[in-house]
Order: sequence, then C-alpha cells, then structure tokens
Amino acid sequence: MSDRALRAGAVLVALGGIAVAGYLTWALFDDAALVCVAGGGCETVQESEYAEIAGVPVAMLGLGAYVALLGLIVWDGRSARLAAAMIALVGGLFSMYLLALQLFVIEAVCVWCLANDVVIAPALAVLTALRLRS
Amino acid sequence: MAAMNPRSNDGPSGRTVVLAFGIAIAAAVALVAVALLLRDDSGTPPTESPVVDLSGIPQDGRMLGPPDATVTLVEWADPQCPACRTYNEELFPIVVDEYVRPERMNAEFRGFPFIGDDSVKAYRFLLAAGEQSKLWDLQEAMFRNQGGENTGWVTDDLIRELAAEVGLDADQLFADFERDDITLEAENAEAAGQAAGIPGTPTLQIRIGDEEAYAIQVATVDQLRMALDDALAG
Repeated sequence: MSDRALRAGAVLVALGGIAVAGYLTWALFDDAALVCVAGGGCETVQESEYAEIAGVPVAMLGLGAYVALLGLIVWDGRSARLAAAMIALVGGLFSMYLLALQLFVIEAVCVWCLANDVVIAPALAVLTALRLRS
Repeated sequence: MAAMNPRSNDGPSGRTVVLAFGIAIAAAVALVAVALLLRDDSGTPPTESPVVDLSGIPQDGRMLGPPDATVTLVEWADPQCPACRTYNEELFPIVVDEYVRPERMNAEFRGFPFIGDDSVKAYRFLLAAGEQSKLWDLQEAMFRNQGGENTGWVTDDLIRELAAEVGLDADQLFADFERDDITLEAENAEAAGQAAGIPGTPTLQIRIGDEEAYAIQVATVDQLRMALDDALAG
C-alpha cells in the first residue's frame, strides 16, 4: 500500500474517530440523551465511574487525541509521523482497556465506544505505524 | 548524494521507533493506572432533602394517586440508573405537584432492573415497601441516595436509614423483602420489561383507560407538561 493511500486512510479513520468521540462528548451534555439503555448502552457506560479521568470525560480526551492525530497526519513531517504513531498506539492500548471494562466490569457495551475501541483506534495505530516505514 | 537511499533520510531510525513505541506503551500503562487510581466509585453525592412531598397522596402497591384516574403515567425505572435519578429529581416533582396531587392522573412504577444485582435487590425493597403503600416514598429516597453502579451500595444499613426517613416499618420491610413472590417478581422484572419492548430507563408511558400504553419522549419540564396535557386532553 502506498504512503499516499495510508495517509488518506489515516485521515479518514481519524475523521471517523472525531465523529464518534464528538458524538459521545455531545451526548454527555445533552439532556435528551439521558437514558440508560437496556442491554448495555452508551449512557450506562458514560455514566459509569470509569467515564472520567480526574474529572475529564474519556470521550473528551478521545476527541482531543483524534484532533491532534488529524493535525499531525495533515502536517506530515518526519516528527509528526512518529508523534502520530505514538499517540495512536497509546489510544489503541487505552481502547483495549476501555473495551475490557465494558465487557467484564461495567457489563454494558456502548456501540459507539465499541466502534472506536475495536475498529477506529486499532486501525489508526496500524496505519500510522505502517507510515513510519514509508 | 544521488546514491543515498532516501528512506534513510525520510523515516526515523529503527532504534528511534522502538524507543518511541516503548514510551507510548509506558504512557498507555500510566494512563490506565491513573484512570484506575483516580476513578470515583462513590457515585453522585446524596441529595439530602426530599425533592417532592408525597404525604397525603394515596398509594397502593406500585400505584400513586387517585385509583380511579383515567390517565396513568407509567414509569419504567432501574434504581441504579443515573438518568432515572435525574428524572426523579427534575421531572417527577412536576408530575406529582401538577398532575397527581391535583388528582388529574395517577402514576404507576414499573421496575426494569437491568443494570446489575444491586438493581434487583433495590427493586425487591421497593416492592416490599409497596406492601406498606410506601413504594413511591422509598424510590424517591433511594434515587436521592443512589450509589455507583454495582458497588454494593444497596446495603441493609442504607435501607434501614431510608425506611426510617420515609416512615416504613423496617422489620416488616425486610421480612417482605425475603418473600418468594417479591423475589420472583423482581428477578423476572427485567424479562418483563424486555417483553414489553422497554428500550431503557427511564421510559415513560401514558395509559388512557383500557387503551394500550404509548411511550412519550420528554427531556425537559416543558416537554413533560405538553405530553401530559395532551394525554389529559384525550
């Protein structure tokens, strides 16, 4: 896969990450979204004690990380590639932790979180890592 | 110069990459550690004072308000659901003060305890309180004192404290809590909610007479009033 394709893929996936994290951040502050969904749901997950780190919503941290990643991918300098890969790797690993929490601790799965944890974060980690070889 | 491999100039060295990934992994581990160390499992702090006065309003089991009311507001709730607590504190007082106390409609509590064991345990206590016509008093107090999800916050001490606050016979409450029929009803409540097509909590439904109940979507006081006024207008 060419570097151009990898870069385009990384931009698209980062935009997907911004969309998902942006939605989850918005939902935190929207009264209409205040419902606990049966069978697990974003609200149950987002209202859990694991949804914040030192008072900062995890969704907001994710949004910040994706915006930073997109900026680094667009910038595309040598250091930017390395920094993007590092952030994406941290995000990918942290997503595995969040996924484990949903499955085994909170026992509720948020479909938007799942999309992030299973698809977007790992994909970005792989794409940005591959670009280091280009 | 022309013979140089451009890759050696463009990309970071393998050693740099290994070091960077090592730092990233360490950062991820540190982030998880910080997240676990700083997590707040205490839930939202209790709301000290009752958010609504239920005294003098007739109760019978899961029903609140005049038994012969044509319009019934059915509330499906999980005692552990934070959104139900928000409903209890922000919208439920409107329901009571403007619709139930003036005998314009009544309300029915339906447990949908899907979040975990504490949900079922709490619902068993609510059903037991219904035997003393105090289900609504206990649920109001319980939501105000809601703990973190599945942290074991529904303790006997908390229930005795709340029972005293709302005027329940605590010994009778605990005796009814152990009853087989109440235990069975609480344990089957999640399946009953699923069978009724309840998507989550709180779910509010309007039932007019013998007609099939329909769900209403309300997030604000104005939306709540509009939905209830529409129901009363037929």
